[in-house]
Amino acid sequence: MDLFLQTLVNGILIGGILICLTIGFQLTFGVLHVIDFAVGGWTMLGGYTAYWLVTLAGIDPFISIFLVFALFLLIGRGLGPLIYHVRTSRYARPDLMALAFTFGIFLFMRGGALWLWSYNSRSVDSVLSGQFLSLGPVTIPLMRLSAFLLAMLFSLGLFILLYRSRFGMAVRALAQNHDHAGLMGVDVKRVSAWVYGIYTALTASAGVLIATIYSVNPSVGIRYTLFAFFVAVLAGLGSVGGVLVAGLALGLLEAYVATYIGARYSLLIVFGTLYLVLLVAPKGVLGRGI
Amino acid sequence: MSNELRVDNLVTGYGKQEIVHDITVSAPPGQITCIFGPNGSGKSTVIKAIAGLLPAWSGRITLGGTEITGLPVHTMVSKGIVMMPQGGGVFPRFTVMENLRMGGYALNNKQLIEERIESLIADYPNLQRRRNTPAGSLSGGEQMMVAIARALVTDPAFVMLDEPSAGLSPALVHETMERVVGLKERGVGVIMVEQNIREALPVADSVYIFAGGKRKFAGTQEDIRDDNHLMSIYMGGT
Ligand SMILES: Nc1ncnc2c1ncn2[C@@H]1O[C@H](COP(=O)(O)OP(=O)(O)OP(=O)(O)O)[C@@H](O)[C@H]1O
Ligand SMILES: [Mg+2]
Repeated sequence: MDLFLQTLVNGILIGGILICLTIGFQLTFGVLHVIDFAVGGWTMLGGYTAYWLVTLAGIDPFISIFLVFALFLLIGRGLGPLIYHVRTSRYARPDLMALAFTFGIFLFMRGGALWLWSYNSRSVDSVLSGQFLSLGPVTIPLMRLSAFLLAMLFSLGLFILLYRSRFGMAVRALAQNHDHAGLMGVDVKRVSAWVYGIYTALTASAGVLIATIYSVNPSVGIRYTLFAFFVAVLAGLGSVGGVLVAGLALGLLEAYVATYIGARYSLLIVFGTLYLVLLVAPKGVLGRGI
Repeated sequence: MSNELRVDNLVTGYGKQEIVHDITVSAPPGQITCIFGPNGSGKSTVIKAIAGLLPAWSGRITLGGTEITGLPVHTMVSKGIVMMPQGGGVFPRFTVMENLRMGGYALNNKQLIEERIESLIADYPNLQRRRNTPAGSLSGGEQMMVAIARALVTDPAFVMLDEPSAGLSPALVHETMERVVGLKERGVGVIMVEQNIREALPVADSVYIFAGGKRKFAGTQEDIRDDNHLMSIYMGGT
């Protein structure tokens, strides 16, 4: 029973980080109709940036995460118009062009990471490493708890932005129809570019948390791309609200598999589940857009 | 006329295909300008080009003498031109109120937007009652009313309506035309694309008829002598 409870807590804490990792990805799909293969790449780069900031400048990852957020907001904002251009080009199948384009970005990131940081795993140390909170039978690493809380804070921030601001209203209009939003005075290109920036910022921030909890190496990219795909499909592609449930579901699934079956089976079981979901509910279990 | 919305010698199309061939239209402020024509004659294409949804290949679009050709779509609202696309273009997942607020997006002034919406919605009892209903679950007629009301939030000089009566019952078509006259009474210039000539012709101050992407007729409703005359224009006469 204690093990069960402990696993439940572990699953929820990781699930929260997966929510932060996928929520921007979903937004990008909902608004730009781009499936960004590089989602795991942004996660990885966020982790490496935090690694540099702590080893070169001594900035704790729980502080540097805000710098990473700002940095990747600007990078994504800069790259956004290019993504938009590819996605709205007049060539046949711009959706596939965009997927191929982001796949290219992903390969570029992975190559860059190998070159800059080699194949070895890098760990990102925090003052919170090795500190625990005991709640009855359950032991909670302070680092995971703080990571969870930060991830929730970022995700909540996104919801407030989407549902309580003028910019958010423009984003939600855009997710329904680009032309109609444009006719209302929404600068579709500009808002889309910011959406891409918000996505890369959220994803890189989740990457900081993941690198701090585990570590970062050039192969985490593909892993988290697959995780983001899993959460997105389970939530229903483009559904931002559904990510809350789907992210937790993946966190719990992974935690229980790791505890009771063995961590090396987690990817296998995660994707077995994904195929089942696709067979049973191809539109996702939670459905619908922003 | 000084404040008219003019299209001179417009040529445009989709991809490489030219759809609109050398069309000229002038819409005086505060009046109702109707564009008629068979399906596929380029009516929507012309107003999409005016709104900036499509680039003009050649020709000029001017508002009150100022050239607006090639300006991006999102700048049109602040120039005083609002377009209602075919089908209304409401946001289905937004409530009626959220749709109306989107109509005021360009104003960027919450209080002004709310005031304008309250005074507009007073004229639409059906919408009053359904303020918080998602627009996607309204009837076609109600969606059209949302779209028309939404077009007015910024208090534009011109509203372009693409087939506001499409798919409505005869009674609603009549109501819609009364709404259009209401726009004119507020001083708004209207460019209306319509299929329902019988209902739209009586409210038109000036009339254009397109066929095959060309302008076949320009005049006033009095210039159209009778149904036979109208048919002959449709079939490609003069
Ligand atoms: N997005 C598009 N891509 C390619 N061709 C298009 C597109 N939209 C319209 N067309 C073509 O352009 C021509 C004119 O279309 P348009 O929509 O302007 O006609 P319309 O006069 O508004 O007709 P309707 O009364 O049916 O709305 C048609 O032949 C149509 O097939
Ligand atoms: Mg049309």
